[in-house]
Amino acid sequence: MPLGLAEVGLLLLSFAVPLVAVLAGLPPFLRYLIRNGWTSDDAHKTLQTKVPEPAGPVLFLAALVGEIVVAIGFNSWVPVAVSLGAGVAFAVGLADDLFVLGGKTKPLLLLFAGLAFAGIVVIIPDLYQPVITFPILGDTAPHLTIYTVLAVVAFPVVSNAFNMMDAFNGEISWFTLLTSLALLVGVSLHGAYASGFSLARVGATLPLVAVAGGFLLFNRYPSRAFDGDSGSLMFGAMFAGLAITGGVEIAAIIAIIPAILNSFYTLSSVRGFVERRRMPSRPTYIGSDGLLYPSTEPGAPNTLARLVLLAGALSEKDLVRDLIYLTLVACLFSVAISVLTWVI
Amino acid sequence: MKLASLFGIEAAAFLLIIGETYLFFNFVVPLGSIPHSPIDYTGLALLKLALIIGLVAVWFVVMIGLTRAYVRAKVKFAPRPSS
Repeated sequence: MPLGLAEVGLLLLSFAVPLVAVLAGLPPFLRYLIRNGWTSDDAHKTLQTKVPEPAGPVLFLAALVGEIVVAIGFNSWVPVAVSLGAGVAFAVGLADDLFVLGGKTKPLLLLFAGLAFAGIVVIIPDLYQPVITFPILGDTAPHLTIYTVLAVVAFPVVSNAFNMMDAFNGEISWFTLLTSLALLVGVSLHGAYASGFSLARVGATLPLVAVAGGFLLFNRYPSRAFDGDSGSLMFGAMFAGLAITGGVEIAAIIAIIPAILNSFYTLSSVRGFVERRRMPSRPTYIGSDGLLYPSTEPGAPNTLARLVLLAGALSEKDLVRDLIYLTLVACLFSVAISVLTWVI
Repeated sequence: MKLASLFGIEAAAFLLIIGETYLFFNFVVPLGSIPHSPIDYTGLALLKLALIIGLVAVWFVVMIGLTRAYVRAKVKFAPRPSS
């Protein structure tokens, strides 16, 4: 469908506003965090390095401002539902940043993010279509109850998967940026080729891309800011909400395969939800040469980073580069799925 | 290319997710009761549950198998800091 000038302007605005909010809001907030002692050790450096954390509040507010622009500009409830889910996940993450929640408490509380999101269906029944669209094969039959249950469960699962990809400098920001771009391609193709698809669903994806891109400038190696659980859980919840409202569930799952594998490895090796600060040993350690090595202890938790390091010790920067390659391949799979689903 | 094996695991996860989601929504969810069949409502629910657990188990078994094979192949030569 051809876009009008006003629609293009609104889309640009829904990208620019959150980006400017991150770039302008983060430096003073980071100074505030440092002044008040809100810093964490950068665990993968030989010299003790303190990094301000959590940047999550600014990231959430920036994303929220972007979603408000989309909600008002396109007169849509979709950004409200996405913001509600992201807001609950942000609150759970902030509670974890401030008080450290238990390994099982966090996923349980994150179910409320899914419930808040799905609750909007009462106001807007077509918030999501309860079907999954497969490449070439087309739509499944609608299954509202099962789809809604899966949508609610998706919030804790995806949020935790994003949270577990937040271990190294720049990892979470690169991961969120790449996966949200793959999501944007999917939602845009869905919008371009499906009839009756609201442009607000495309617009609602842009704040996530903008916030992740802006945060990357502060979070890339060597990090000047950590997002904290408030940031990573919010990113995950927003991604889940946008995938559901955009009707690109399969492409979204494919894009986050590295995070799914990472969570699967961790949960299966430590046998359940264990808070990372309470794990018996670390999956990787830093050698005196400044390189990262995989733990060879039998009880060490498995992570994607540990598997990459088993092939050879790497600096933190190179390890993140390899993790980005893995994410990039998954995102290419995702884009291919989107093209096969909506174009062909 | 040292990431090739991990790309392979990623591709396997990708194919399994697509295939199993398709099976779930197109075969397991629409399973209805068959007239004059000994399988009643409860039996059907249990059958669906078993099929779902089966699909999840297949993903887990394949992923655990691939990862164990990868770790076994690499851990012997795992790098250690020279000290």
